[in-house]
Amino acid sequence: MTTVTQNELETDVEVRPDGQARVVLRGRLNEQTVVSCWDLLEKELPGTKVETLQVDVRGLSFCDAAGLILLLYLNMGRMTPHATVSVIGLKADLEIIFHELTLEDDETFRPQPAIKSGSFVEKMGRRVRQIKEDFHDQMVFLGAIIASLPASIFHPKRSRWAETRRVVELAGANAVPIVSLMSLLLGFIIAFESARRLAEFGAQLYVANTIMVVMVRDMGPLMTAILLAGRSGSSFAAEIGTMKVNEELNALKTFGLDSIPFLVIPRILAGVFVTPLLTFYSILMGVIGGVIVMLGLGFALPLILHQLASSVHLNDLGAGFSKSAVFGVIVSAVGCWHGLRTQQGPSAVGLSTTRAVVTSLLLIIVADAFFSAISFLIK
Amino acid sequence: MNAPTDIAISVKDLTVGYGDTVILQNVNFQVRRGEVFVILGASGSGKSTLLKAMIGLYPPLSGDVWIEGGNLVAAQGKERLALLRKFGVMYQSGALFGSITVLENVRLPLDEFTDLPDPLKEVAALARLKLVGLGAAADKMPAELSGGMQKRAAIARAMALDPRILFLDEPSAGLDPITSAGIDLLITDLAHHFGFTFVIVSHELPSIYAIADRVVMLGPGTKGIIAEGKPDELRDGAADPRVRRFFNRQPDPGHSVKPS
Repeated sequence: MTTVTQNELETDVEVRPDGQARVVLRGRLNEQTVVSCWDLLEKELPGTKVETLQVDVRGLSFCDAAGLILLLYLNMGRMTPHATVSVIGLKADLEIIFHELTLEDDETFRPQPAIKSGSFVEKMGRRVRQIKEDFHDQMVFLGAIIASLPASIFHPKRSRWAETRRVVELAGANAVPIVSLMSLLLGFIIAFESARRLAEFGAQLYVANTIMVVMVRDMGPLMTAILLAGRSGSSFAAEIGTMKVNEELNALKTFGLDSIPFLVIPRILAGVFVTPLLTFYSILMGVIGGVIVMLGLGFALPLILHQLASSVHLNDLGAGFSKSAVFGVIVSAVGCWHGLRTQQGPSAVGLSTTRAVVTSLLLIIVADAFFSAISFLIK
Repeated sequence: MNAPTDIAISVKDLTVGYGDTVILQNVNFQVRRGEVFVILGASGSGKSTLLKAMIGLYPPLSGDVWIEGGNLVAAQGKERLALLRKFGVMYQSGALFGSITVLENVRLPLDEFTDLPDPLKEVAALARLKLVGLGAAADKMPAELSGGMQKRAAIARAMALDPRILFLDEPSAGLDPITSAGIDLLITDLAHHFGFTFVIVSHELPSIYAIADRVVMLGPGTKGIIAEGKPDELRDGAADPRVRRFFNRQPDPGHSVKPS
């Protein structure tokens, strides 16, 4: 027989060779003492061929809910699967615990381990089908945008210019401080890095050309689009996603209003309008950052300005602004698309927002690579 | 100072507000052990605010809330945690955690606040779920449950740490009459067979008649209690006309759309 006394609880465990086992509990069976009692019972009882288990609780002076759960567990036979179990000495009003959950209930209700999903081929098949369905939905979405666009712009009753202005302010005007800081620092970085390399060839003056070309053709549009994807694309997805969860989109439908012209078009128009403007501003701030570095390196301002003016042509500016308008469409459309596809549940809006940002960034980079290739081939 | 032993909750001179706006002023009442106590009143009368002040979510401007002999308003640190374990709360929406199963929702407080072995936690959580009639829904996600089932699961979670007091915010709101009656039956069973003390915010008259041992009624614009007693007594004999109108479902004068 094993006897252990710990924290006001004395536990005797006796397992006889004929399969008869007896557990005697004395003292206080509470949340604290249950743990040590459990460890002892788990060590002594399982693995033995117990046929009859008697749990004697007549000596208990106190038993809380955790203690009752231990007695319930023992009474169900979870610790001694093949034994007949009896608990003796429990107060009649506490015996109700044994009706709260029976072994049959426990076996029925206990969650079963998740069934492993299918083979690699099956998973691939599901994925391909999903991609096909997504592509179909995206084409439908794109078609709905194109179909709604003329009426939304030219039909005075269907235009939602007030909403467009609100989004322009949120996505554009309110983004000016962060674009300023980011572009100025970007100008510093490009200027410092290129100055170090160009100094080796005695060509530090061409830092101005580097800044201008890099900012106008690539970094200005790209960094502005990345910032918009993180700031405004995510906000579009979260805003429309929350509207869907709150059934506001259903309310629109029952009024006979289509969510594409009502919600999506104003955001796309705002994106197309605001992205080139912010890109222009980003280029300006980046160049100012570079000019500050060049002034620090000892170059005269007229000389710097001359280099800047001679380094880009109209087609460079055209390429930069046209790609920024495309980036604006991508950020707005992807944000709205993921917002409209938001599922139910508390994590759904967060998931849509994450997907909107990741998809936008991916498509922006793909589009930029496409623009670079086209521009190279045309030249 | 401890509250008398047959009193589970004692609200003393409680004043609650936001900034300069006072919602409730000098509210006083007591809840006895084992009774179903209902806070009722019209929309906007401050029922939910009172409940949230009682469970420590809104710090009051002044006054005390004594729960099982401890002052929740003044308690800090471990003393406050010990007091919080004396009661469970069911929020109006259920407030189940949507990313985990119903069983995991009920197990969560046991995982966080007890050192019980895992098999015992699982049995304890299953027993609570069976008690509210949701054993078969243990491995479902909350979004898969109906409104009534979510409220039952929330009651099971509120009971996870075996508190003696349960606060329920609008348990019948938005439910059909049969589901609502099922929740009422669960409340009365838990109170009468298991000895739980209930503090319930509600304005559903059928539920109030079915479950309430005693009620306090908050009046719109009065910032306090306008009636206290048994529902039947208040319906038939309340001195305040606003109380009689509430219990007899009579609209305030001048609320008709018909031209006068």
